[in-house]
Amino acid sequence: MAQVTRPKIIGITSIIAIVLILLAFPMLFTPSIKRMGDFVPMILGIIITLQFVSVIGIWHMKQWGVQLFIIMFCIRVITFMLLDMYTFRFYFNIFYSIIFIIFFLIHYRKMDSNL
Amino acid sequence: MVLTLLKESVVFAWQALVSNKLRTFLSLLGITIGIFAIITVFTIVDSLERNIRSSVQSLGDNVVFVMKWPWTFGPDYPWWKYMNRPVPTYKEVDEVRRKTKSAEVIGFRISARKILKHKNNTIENAIVSGWSYDYGKIKSFDIIDGRYFREDEVEGGYNVVILGSTIAEGLFPNNEYPIGKTIKVAGRNCRVIGVIKKEGESMLGNSMDNQVVVPYNFARLFMDVKSESSEPFIAVKAKTGVTNEQLKDELTGVMRSIRGLKPLADDDFALNETNLLSKNFDGLFDIVGIAGAIIGGFSILVGGFGIANIMFVSVRERTNLIGIQKSLGAKNYFILSQFLFESVFLSLMGGIIGLLLIYILTFAADGMIDMEITLTRSNIILGLTISVLIGVISGFIPAYGASQLDPVEAIRTN
Repeated sequence: MAQVTRPKIIGITSIIAIVLILLAFPMLFTPSIKRMGDFVPMILGIIITLQFVSVIGIWHMKQWGVQLFIIMFCIRVITFMLLDMYTFRFYFNIFYSIIFIIFFLIHYRKMDSNL
Repeated sequence: MVLTLLKESVVFAWQALVSNKLRTFLSLLGITIGIFAIITVFTIVDSLERNIRSSVQSLGDNVVFVMKWPWTFGPDYPWWKYMNRPVPTYKEVDEVRRKTKSAEVIGFRISARKILKHKNNTIENAIVSGWSYDYGKIKSFDIIDGRYFREDEVEGGYNVVILGSTIAEGLFPNNEYPIGKTIKVAGRNCRVIGVIKKEGESMLGNSMDNQVVVPYNFARLFMDVKSESSEPFIAVKAKTGVTNEQLKDELTGVMRSIRGLKPLADDDFALNETNLLSKNFDGLFDIVGIAGAIIGGFSILVGGFGIANIMFVSVRERTNLIGIQKSLGAKNYFILSQFLFESVFLSLMGGIIGLLLIYILTFAADGMIDMEITLTRSNIILGLTISVLIGVISGFIPAYGASQLDPVEAIRTN
Protein backbone atom coordinates (compact mmCIF):
# COMPACT_ATOMS: atom_id res chain seq x y z
CA MET A 1 0.00 0.00 0.00
CA ALA A 2 1.29 3.44 -0.96
CA GLN A 3 2.38 5.65 1.94
CA VAL A 4 -0.02 8.58 2.54
CA THR A 5 1.81 11.92 2.67
CA ARG A 6 1.42 13.63 6.05
CA PRO A 7 0.17 17.24 5.80
CA LYS A 8 2.30 19.75 7.71
CA ILE A 9 -0.54 20.74 10.02
CA ILE A 10 -0.99 17.10 11.12
CA GLY A 11 2.74 16.82 11.77
CA ILE A 12 2.79 20.00 13.86
CA THR A 13 -0.35 19.16 15.86
CA SER A 14 0.90 15.63 16.47
CA ILE A 15 4.19 16.92 17.88
CA ILE A 16 2.39 19.44 20.10
CA ALA A 17 -0.04 16.74 21.24
CA ILE A 18 2.82 14.35 22.12
CA VAL A 19 4.63 17.06 24.10
CA LEU A 20 1.43 17.94 26.00
CA ILE A 21 0.70 14.27 26.71
CA LEU A 22 4.24 13.64 27.98
CA LEU A 23 4.07 16.74 30.15
CA ALA A 24 0.81 15.44 31.62
CA PHE A 25 2.59 12.25 32.70
CA PRO A 26 4.12 13.60 35.95
CA MET A 27 0.58 14.71 36.91
CA LEU A 28 -0.10 11.06 37.78
CA PHE A 29 2.20 11.33 40.77
CA THR A 30 0.77 14.46 42.33
CA PRO A 31 -0.55 14.03 45.90
CA SER A 32 -4.03 15.26 44.93
CA ILE A 33 -4.39 12.47 42.34
CA LYS A 34 -2.93 9.86 44.71
CA ARG A 35 -5.39 10.87 47.42
CA MET A 36 -8.35 10.10 45.12
CA GLY A 37 -7.67 6.38 45.39
CA ASP A 38 -5.18 3.59 44.75
CA PHE A 39 -6.36 2.99 41.19
CA VAL A 40 -6.96 6.58 40.02
CA PRO A 41 -3.32 7.13 38.86
CA MET A 42 -3.57 3.83 36.99
CA ILE A 43 -6.79 4.84 35.17
CA LEU A 44 -5.45 8.28 34.26
CA GLY A 45 -2.15 6.68 33.21
CA ILE A 46 -3.93 4.28 30.84
CA ILE A 47 -5.87 7.21 29.33
CA ILE A 48 -2.66 9.21 28.80
CA THR A 49 -0.88 6.18 27.29
CA LEU A 50 -3.73 5.43 24.87
CA GLN A 51 -3.83 9.09 23.85
CA PHE A 52 -0.12 8.84 23.11
CA VAL A 53 -0.74 5.69 21.01
CA SER A 54 -3.53 7.47 19.12
CA VAL A 55 -1.23 10.38 18.25
CA ILE A 56 1.39 7.94 16.93
CA GLY A 57 -1.38 6.50 14.71
CA ILE A 58 -2.25 9.99 13.50
CA TRP A 59 1.44 10.69 12.81
CA HIS A 60 1.42 7.59 10.57
CA MET A 61 -1.78 8.93 8.91
CA LYS A 62 -4.01 6.12 10.18
CA GLN A 63 -7.73 6.59 10.63
CA TRP A 64 -7.71 4.44 13.76
CA GLY A 65 -5.48 7.08 15.32
CA VAL A 66 -8.14 9.77 14.93
CA GLN A 67 -10.87 7.40 16.12
CA LEU A 68 -8.85 6.41 19.18
CA PHE A 69 -7.97 10.05 19.88
CA ILE A 70 -11.66 11.07 19.88
CA ILE A 71 -12.65 8.09 22.05
CA MET A 72 -9.87 8.81 24.55
CA PHE A 73 -10.79 12.51 24.59
CA CYS A 74 -14.39 11.61 25.54
CA ILE A 75 -13.23 9.07 28.16
CA ARG A 76 -10.80 11.60 29.62
CA VAL A 77 -13.48 14.29 29.88
CA ILE A 78 -15.95 11.86 31.49
CA THR A 79 -13.30 10.55 33.91
CA PHE A 80 -12.28 14.06 34.95
CA MET A 81 -15.94 14.96 35.48
CA LEU A 82 -16.56 11.80 37.52
CA LEU A 83 -13.49 12.58 39.64
CA ASP A 84 -14.71 16.15 40.06
CA MET A 85 -11.47 17.51 38.61
CA TYR A 86 -12.70 20.80 37.18
CA THR A 87 -9.26 22.33 37.12
CA PHE A 88 -7.54 24.66 34.67
CA ARG A 89 -5.90 21.56 33.13
CA PHE A 90 -9.35 20.08 32.45
CA TYR A 91 -10.58 23.11 30.50
CA PHE A 92 -7.23 23.56 28.74
CA ASN A 93 -7.31 19.90 27.71
CA ILE A 94 -10.80 20.29 26.23
CA PHE A 95 -9.72 23.44 24.41
CA TYR A 96 -6.66 22.06 22.64
CA SER A 97 -8.15 18.61 22.06
CA ILE A 98 -11.14 20.08 20.18
CA ILE A 99 -8.80 22.16 18.00
CA PHE A 100 -6.70 19.07 17.27
CA ILE A 101 -9.77 16.97 16.50
CA ILE A 102 -10.96 19.58 13.99
CA PHE A 103 -7.56 19.47 12.21
CA PHE A 104 -7.54 15.68 12.27
CA LEU A 105 -11.10 15.39 10.93
CA ILE A 106 -10.33 17.78 8.06
CA HIS A 107 -7.66 15.32 6.87
CA TYR A 108 -9.49 12.17 7.97
CA ARG A 109 -10.44 11.04 4.45
CA LYS A 110 -6.85 11.24 3.26
CA MET A 111 -5.80 8.83 5.98
CA ASP A 112 -5.23 5.09 5.65
CA SER A 113 -8.08 2.94 6.94
CA ASN A 114 -5.82 -0.09 7.54
CA LEU A 115 -4.10 -0.87 10.82
CA MET B 1 -5.63 -18.29 18.41
CA VAL B 2 -5.11 -14.92 20.07
CA LEU B 3 -3.66 -16.61 23.15
CA THR B 4 -1.23 -18.64 21.04
CA LEU B 5 -0.09 -15.48 19.28
CA LEU B 6 0.21 -13.71 22.59
CA LYS B 7 2.25 -16.56 24.04
CA GLU B 8 4.50 -16.62 20.97
CA SER B 9 5.16 -12.91 21.11
CA VAL B 10 5.93 -13.14 24.83
CA VAL B 11 8.41 -15.97 24.14
CA PHE B 12 10.04 -13.98 21.33
CA ALA B 13 10.32 -10.92 23.55
CA TRP B 14 11.78 -12.95 26.42
CA GLN B 15 14.37 -14.60 24.17
CA ALA B 16 15.44 -11.22 22.82
CA LEU B 17 15.93 -9.89 26.34
CA VAL B 18 17.80 -12.95 27.60
CA SER B 19 20.16 -13.02 24.62
CA ASN B 20 21.36 -9.47 25.38
CA LYS B 21 21.73 -9.57 29.15
CA LEU B 22 24.06 -6.60 29.61
CA ARG B 23 22.05 -4.38 27.26
CA THR B 24 18.83 -5.43 29.01
CA PHE B 25 20.32 -4.62 32.39
CA LEU B 26 21.66 -1.22 31.32
CA SER B 27 18.42 -0.17 29.68
CA LEU B 28 16.23 -1.18 32.60
CA LEU B 29 18.54 0.69 34.98
CA GLY B 30 16.98 4.02 33.92
CA ILE B 31 13.50 2.85 34.92
CA THR B 32 14.87 1.26 38.12
CA ILE B 33 16.38 4.57 39.19
CA GLY B 34 13.25 6.51 38.19
CA ILE B 35 10.86 4.21 40.06
CA PHE B 36 13.26 4.04 43.01
CA ALA B 37 13.44 7.85 43.20
CA ILE B 38 9.74 8.56 42.97
CA ILE B 39 8.43 5.70 45.11
CA THR B 40 11.11 6.36 47.77
CA VAL B 41 9.93 9.97 48.02
CA PHE B 42 6.30 8.83 48.29
CA THR B 43 7.13 6.11 50.82
CA ILE B 44 8.98 8.56 53.05
CA VAL B 45 6.32 11.28 52.70
CA ASP B 46 3.52 8.76 53.41
CA SER B 47 5.36 7.42 56.46
CA LEU B 48 6.03 10.90 57.83
CA GLU B 49 2.41 11.83 57.22
CA ARG B 50 1.20 8.69 59.01
CA ASN B 51 3.52 9.36 61.93
CA ILE B 52 2.36 12.96 62.28
CA ARG B 53 -1.29 11.98 62.01
CA SER B 54 -0.92 9.39 64.76
CA SER B 55 0.99 11.93 66.90
CA VAL B 56 -1.76 14.48 66.35
CA GLN B 57 -4.44 11.87 67.08
CA SER B 58 -2.72 10.94 70.34
CA LEU B 59 -3.43 14.51 71.50
CA GLY B 60 -7.09 13.52 71.40
CA ASP B 61 -9.90 13.45 68.85
CA ASN B 62 -12.65 16.03 68.97
CA VAL B 63 -10.64 18.12 71.44
CA VAL B 64 -10.23 21.89 71.58
CA PHE B 65 -7.14 23.28 73.30
CA VAL B 66 -7.33 26.64 75.07
CA MET B 67 -3.86 28.12 74.74
CA LYS B 68 -1.95 31.36 74.51
CA TRP B 69 -0.59 30.85 70.99
CA PRO B 70 -2.64 29.72 67.96
CA TRP B 71 -1.48 26.74 65.90
CA THR B 72 -1.14 28.62 62.65
CA PHE B 73 2.11 29.11 60.82
CA GLY B 74 3.32 31.16 57.92
CA PRO B 75 4.97 34.48 57.15
CA ASP B 76 1.98 36.58 58.27
CA TYR B 77 1.93 35.25 61.82
CA PRO B 78 1.21 38.33 64.04
CA TRP B 79 3.21 37.13 67.07
CA TRP B 80 3.29 40.60 68.59
CA LYS B 81 -0.49 40.40 69.13
CA TYR B 82 -0.19 37.16 71.06
CA MET B 83 2.92 37.66 73.18
CA ASN B 84 1.18 39.76 75.85
CA ARG B 85 -1.71 37.37 76.31
CA PRO B 86 -2.08 35.64 79.71
CA VAL B 87 -1.53 31.88 79.92
CA PRO B 88 -4.47 29.61 80.83
CA THR B 89 -4.67 28.75 84.53
CA TYR B 90 -6.00 25.89 86.61
CA LYS B 91 -8.59 28.25 88.18
CA GLU B 92 -10.07 28.81 84.73
CA VAL B 93 -10.58 25.04 84.35
CA ASP B 94 -13.16 25.05 87.16
CA GLU B 95 -14.97 28.01 85.64
CA VAL B 96 -14.93 26.50 82.15
CA ARG B 97 -16.29 23.26 83.64
CA ARG B 98 -19.07 25.16 85.38
CA LYS B 99 -20.09 27.29 82.39
CA THR B 100 -19.64 24.95 79.40
CA LYS B 101 -22.59 22.74 78.47
CA SER B 102 -21.15 20.96 75.43
CA ALA B 103 -17.94 19.69 77.08
CA GLU B 104 -17.65 16.09 78.17
CA VAL B 105 -14.22 16.25 79.82
CA ILE B 106 -11.97 19.19 80.65
CA GLY B 107 -8.29 18.65 81.45
CA PHE B 108 -5.29 20.77 82.28
CA ARG B 109 -1.62 20.20 81.65
CA ILE B 110 1.68 21.92 82.40
CA SER B 111 5.18 20.71 81.63
CA ALA B 112 8.83 21.59 82.13
CA ARG B 113 12.23 20.02 81.74
CA LYS B 114 13.64 18.71 85.03
CA ILE B 115 16.26 16.31 86.37
CA LEU B 116 15.24 12.76 87.29
CA LYS B 117 17.32 10.55 89.57
CA HIS B 118 17.25 6.99 90.80
CA LYS B 119 20.31 5.74 92.68
CA ASN B 120 23.25 6.43 90.33
CA ASN B 121 21.10 6.87 87.24
CA THR B 122 20.36 10.44 86.29
CA ILE B 123 18.35 11.82 83.37
CA GLU B 124 18.70 15.51 82.68
CA ASN B 125 16.20 17.62 80.76
CA ALA B 126 13.45 15.01 81.01
CA ILE B 127 9.96 16.34 80.25
CA VAL B 128 7.90 16.36 83.44
CA SER B 129 4.15 16.84 82.84
CA GLY B 130 1.67 17.81 85.48
CA TRP B 131 -1.78 16.52 84.61
CA SER B 132 -5.18 17.17 86.06
CA TYR B 133 -7.07 13.90 86.68
CA ASP B 134 -9.34 14.38 83.64
CA TYR B 135 -6.50 15.07 81.22
CA GLY B 136 -5.80 11.33 81.36
CA LYS B 137 -9.24 10.77 79.82
CA ILE B 138 -8.40 13.04 76.88
CA LYS B 139 -4.84 12.06 76.03
CA SER B 140 -4.51 8.60 74.53
CA PHE B 141 -1.82 6.36 76.06
CA ASP B 142 -1.51 2.81 77.37
CA ILE B 143 -0.08 1.77 80.73
CA ILE B 144 1.77 -1.56 80.57
CA ASP B 145 2.81 -1.76 84.20
CA GLY B 146 1.03 -0.38 87.26
CA ARG B 147 -1.86 2.06 87.04
CA TYR B 148 -3.03 5.63 86.34
CA PHE B 149 -3.48 8.19 89.19
CA ARG B 150 -6.45 8.04 91.51
CA GLU B 151 -8.52 11.22 91.69
CA ASP B 152 -7.53 11.85 95.33
CA GLU B 153 -3.83 11.53 94.41
CA VAL B 154 -4.19 14.34 91.84
CA GLU B 155 -6.35 16.56 94.03
CA GLY B 156 -4.15 15.99 97.11
CA GLY B 157 -0.93 16.55 95.15
CA TYR B 158 0.53 13.15 96.11
CA ASN B 159 4.14 12.56 95.10
CA VAL B 160 3.43 9.74 92.65
CA VAL B 161 4.79 9.42 89.12
CA ILE B 162 4.10 7.54 85.90
CA LEU B 163 7.16 6.93 83.71
CA GLY B 164 7.53 6.91 79.93
CA SER B 165 9.18 3.74 78.63
CA THR B 166 12.53 5.33 77.65
CA ILE B 167 12.73 7.08 81.02
CA ALA B 168 11.91 3.82 82.79
CA GLU B 169 14.68 2.04 80.86
CA GLY B 170 17.11 4.84 81.71
CA LEU B 171 16.37 4.99 85.44
CA PHE B 172 15.87 1.26 85.92
CA PRO B 173 18.38 -0.53 83.70
CA ASN B 174 18.88 -4.32 83.71
CA ASN B 175 15.12 -4.98 83.68
CA GLU B 176 14.70 -3.71 87.23
CA TYR B 177 10.99 -3.52 88.14
CA PRO B 178 10.16 0.18 88.73
CA ILE B 179 6.69 -0.01 90.31
CA GLY B 180 6.77 0.96 94.00
CA LYS B 181 10.32 2.34 93.78
CA THR B 182 11.12 5.92 94.70
CA ILE B 183 12.81 8.31 92.27
CA LYS B 184 13.70 11.98 92.56
CA VAL B 185 11.78 14.38 90.30
CA ALA B 186 13.31 17.87 90.42
CA GLY B 187 14.85 16.93 93.77
CA ARG B 188 11.61 15.63 95.33
CA ASN B 189 10.94 12.02 96.18
CA CYS B 190 8.28 10.38 94.06
CA ARG B 191 6.84 6.86 94.12
CA VAL B 192 6.55 5.16 90.71
CA ILE B 193 3.01 3.85 90.19
CA GLY B 194 2.97 3.13 86.45
CA VAL B 195 4.93 2.76 83.21
CA ILE B 196 3.54 3.86 79.85
CA LYS B 197 3.75 1.55 76.82
CA LYS B 198 6.48 2.41 74.29
CA GLU B 199 5.12 4.68 71.56
CA GLY B 200 8.18 5.26 69.36
CA GLU B 201 9.51 8.49 67.92
CA SER B 202 6.97 11.23 67.27
CA MET B 203 7.41 13.89 64.59
CA LEU B 204 5.77 16.44 66.88
CA GLY B 205 8.12 15.59 69.73
CA ASN B 206 5.20 14.65 71.97
CA SER B 207 6.04 10.97 72.41
CA MET B 208 5.25 9.78 75.93
CA ASP B 209 8.43 7.67 75.90
CA ASN B 210 10.57 10.60 77.06
CA GLN B 211 8.13 12.02 79.60
CA VAL B 212 7.12 11.44 83.18
CA VAL B 213 3.67 12.37 84.44
CA VAL B 214 2.91 13.67 87.94
CA PRO B 215 -0.34 15.03 89.44
CA TYR B 216 -0.89 18.73 88.66
CA ASN B 217 -1.09 19.71 92.32
CA PHE B 218 2.30 18.09 92.91
CA ALA B 219 3.85 19.60 89.75
CA ARG B 220 2.93 23.14 90.75
CA LEU B 221 5.21 22.81 93.78
CA PHE B 222 8.28 22.94 91.53
CA MET B 223 6.93 24.53 88.33
CA ASP B 224 5.96 28.15 87.71
CA VAL B 225 2.34 27.66 86.64
CA LYS B 226 1.93 31.29 85.61
CA SER B 227 4.96 31.19 83.36
CA GLU B 228 4.76 30.53 79.66
CA SER B 229 7.75 28.22 80.03
CA SER B 230 5.52 25.62 81.71
CA GLU B 231 3.33 25.57 78.54
CA PRO B 232 -0.03 25.40 80.33
CA PHE B 233 -3.16 24.59 78.39
CA ILE B 234 -6.75 23.55 78.95
CA ALA B 235 -8.00 20.62 76.86
CA VAL B 236 -11.76 20.37 76.30
CA LYS B 237 -13.33 17.27 74.80
CA ALA B 238 -16.75 17.71 73.20
CA LYS B 239 -19.77 15.65 74.16
CA THR B 240 -20.92 13.03 71.65
CA GLY B 241 -22.91 14.73 68.88
CA VAL B 242 -21.32 18.13 69.50
CA THR B 243 -19.04 19.35 66.71
CA ASN B 244 -15.77 21.12 67.37
CA GLU B 245 -17.22 24.25 65.79
CA GLN B 246 -20.13 24.28 68.28
CA LEU B 247 -17.73 23.64 71.14
CA LYS B 248 -15.42 26.44 69.97
CA ASP B 249 -18.33 28.87 69.72
CA GLU B 250 -19.37 28.09 73.27
CA LEU B 251 -15.80 28.17 74.59
CA THR B 252 -15.18 31.54 72.98
CA GLY B 253 -18.10 33.02 74.93
CA VAL B 254 -17.13 31.27 78.15
CA MET B 255 -13.47 32.28 77.97
CA ARG B 256 -14.34 35.87 77.08
CA SER B 257 -16.62 36.07 80.13
CA ILE B 258 -14.00 34.48 82.40
CA ARG B 259 -11.34 36.91 81.20
CA GLY B 260 -13.80 39.82 81.38
CA LEU B 261 -13.22 40.98 77.82
CA LYS B 262 -15.22 43.93 76.47
CA PRO B 263 -17.47 43.26 73.45
CA LEU B 264 -15.13 44.94 70.96
CA ALA B 265 -11.92 43.58 72.45
CA ASP B 266 -9.98 40.85 70.64
CA ASP B 267 -9.80 37.38 72.18
CA ASP B 268 -6.75 37.01 74.43
CA PHE B 269 -6.64 33.23 74.04
CA ALA B 270 -6.41 30.77 71.16
CA LEU B 271 -8.71 27.82 70.56
CA ASN B 272 -6.64 25.17 68.75
CA GLU B 273 -7.75 21.92 67.19
CA THR B 274 -5.70 18.91 66.16
CA ASN B 275 -6.95 19.23 62.58
CA LEU B 276 -5.29 22.68 62.44
CA LEU B 277 -1.95 20.94 62.93
CA SER B 278 -2.83 18.34 60.29
CA LYS B 279 -3.82 21.06 57.82
CA ASN B 280 -0.51 22.87 58.30
CA PHE B 281 1.39 19.66 57.64
CA ASP B 282 -0.85 18.74 54.67
CA GLY B 283 0.38 21.85 52.84
CA LEU B 284 4.00 20.97 53.57
CA PHE B 285 3.60 17.37 52.43
CA ASP B 286 1.80 18.46 49.27
CA ILE B 287 4.77 20.64 48.32
CA VAL B 288 7.24 17.80 48.99
CA GLY B 289 4.96 15.39 47.08
CA ILE B 290 4.66 17.70 44.07
CA ALA B 291 8.43 18.28 44.00
CA GLY B 292 8.95 14.51 44.19
CA ALA B 293 6.37 13.96 41.45
CA ILE B 294 8.02 16.40 39.06
CA ILE B 295 11.58 15.17 39.68
CA GLY B 296 10.58 11.48 39.70
CA GLY B 297 8.16 11.86 36.77
CA PHE B 298 10.77 13.37 34.52
CA SER B 299 13.45 10.91 35.62
CA ILE B 300 11.09 8.07 34.66
CA LEU B 301 10.46 9.75 31.29
CA VAL B 302 14.23 9.92 30.75
CA GLY B 303 14.41 6.21 31.64
CA GLY B 304 11.67 5.68 29.04
CA PHE B 305 13.77 7.43 26.39
CA GLY B 306 16.56 4.96 27.19
CA ILE B 307 14.20 2.05 26.61
CA ALA B 308 12.86 3.62 23.39
CA ASN B 309 16.44 4.01 22.16
CA ILE B 310 17.28 0.39 22.89
CA MET B 311 14.06 -0.74 21.19
CA PHE B 312 14.98 1.18 18.03
CA VAL B 313 18.34 -0.63 18.06
CA SER B 314 16.57 -3.92 18.63
CA VAL B 315 14.22 -3.35 15.68
CA ARG B 316 17.15 -2.33 13.48
CA GLU B 317 19.11 -5.46 14.44
CA ARG B 318 16.17 -7.75 13.74
CA THR B 319 14.79 -6.11 10.60
CA ASN B 320 15.87 -9.14 8.59
CA LEU B 321 14.07 -11.49 10.97
CA ILE B 322 10.95 -9.32 10.86
CA GLY B 323 10.98 -9.60 7.06
CA ILE B 324 11.21 -13.38 7.26
CA GLN B 325 8.42 -13.56 9.86
CA LYS B 326 6.17 -11.35 7.74
CA SER B 327 6.87 -13.28 4.56
CA LEU B 328 5.93 -16.47 6.43
CA GLY B 329 2.56 -14.93 7.29
CA ALA B 330 3.12 -13.07 10.58
CA LYS B 331 0.52 -10.31 10.96
CA ASN B 332 1.38 -6.69 11.74
CA TYR B 333 -0.10 -6.93 15.23
CA PHE B 334 2.07 -9.98 15.97
CA ILE B 335 5.25 -8.03 15.19
CA LEU B 336 3.85 -5.04 17.11
CA SER B 337 3.02 -7.08 20.19
CA GLN B 338 6.38 -8.85 20.08
CA PHE B 339 8.32 -5.60 20.40
CA LEU B 340 5.78 -4.02 22.70
CA PHE B 341 6.02 -6.95 25.13
CA GLU B 342 9.80 -6.68 25.02
CA SER B 343 9.73 -3.04 26.06
CA VAL B 344 7.01 -3.61 28.69
CA PHE B 345 9.00 -6.53 30.16
CA LEU B 346 12.10 -4.41 30.24
CA SER B 347 10.34 -1.55 31.95
CA LEU B 348 8.41 -3.79 34.35
CA MET B 349 11.59 -5.56 35.41
CA GLY B 350 13.19 -2.18 36.05
CA GLY B 351 10.18 -1.14 38.12
CA ILE B 352 10.16 -4.38 40.13
CA ILE B 353 13.89 -4.06 40.89
CA GLY B 354 13.31 -0.44 41.96
CA LEU B 355 10.47 -1.51 44.27
CA LEU B 356 12.58 -4.36 45.71
CA LEU B 357 15.37 -1.90 46.48
CA ILE B 358 12.90 0.31 48.34
CA TYR B 359 11.54 -2.70 50.22
CA ILE B 360 15.08 -3.61 51.35
CA LEU B 361 15.70 0.02 52.25
CA THR B 362 12.61 0.13 54.47
CA PHE B 363 13.97 -2.87 56.40
CA ALA B 364 17.36 -1.18 56.78
CA ALA B 365 15.70 2.06 57.88
CA ASP B 366 13.63 0.16 60.43
CA GLY B 367 16.74 -0.71 62.40
CA MET B 368 18.29 2.73 62.09
CA ILE B 369 15.45 5.14 62.87
CA ASP B 370 12.72 4.87 65.45
CA MET B 371 9.92 5.41 62.93
CA GLU B 372 7.94 2.90 60.90
CA ILE B 373 8.63 3.30 57.18
CA THR B 374 6.47 1.04 55.04
CA LEU B 375 6.10 0.51 51.32
CA THR B 376 2.33 0.75 51.00
CA ARG B 377 0.04 -1.10 48.60
CA SER B 378 -0.89 2.12 46.80
CA ASN B 379 2.79 2.90 46.15
CA ILE B 380 3.43 -0.64 44.86
CA ILE B 381 0.44 -0.33 42.50
CA LEU B 382 1.65 3.10 41.39
CA GLY B 383 5.20 1.83 40.75
CA LEU B 384 4.07 -1.19 38.72
CA THR B 385 1.49 0.84 36.76
CA ILE B 386 4.00 3.50 35.83
CA SER B 387 6.54 0.86 34.77
CA VAL B 388 4.06 -0.84 32.43
CA LEU B 389 2.80 2.44 30.98
CA ILE B 390 6.32 3.76 30.38
CA GLY B 391 7.09 0.45 28.66
CA VAL B 392 4.12 0.97 26.32
CA ILE B 393 4.92 4.64 25.66
CA SER B 394 8.61 4.07 24.98
CA GLY B 395 8.12 0.86 23.01
CA PHE B 396 5.15 1.77 20.86
CA ILE B 397 6.93 3.93 18.25
CA PRO B 398 9.69 1.40 17.43
CA ALA B 399 7.21 -1.51 17.65
CA TYR B 400 4.72 0.16 15.34
CA GLY B 401 7.54 1.07 12.93
CA ALA B 402 8.62 -2.59 12.90
CA SER B 403 5.08 -3.80 12.27
CA GLN B 404 4.75 -1.50 9.25
CA LEU B 405 7.95 -2.73 7.54
CA ASP B 406 7.67 -4.05 4.01
CA PRO B 407 8.69 -7.75 4.15
CA VAL B 408 10.74 -7.67 0.91
CA GLU B 409 12.70 -4.58 1.92
CA ALA B 410 13.12 -5.90 5.44
CA ILE B 411 14.63 -9.21 4.24
CA ARG B 412 17.07 -7.31 2.01
CA THR B 413 18.35 -5.21 4.90
CA ASN B 414 21.83 -6.13 6.05
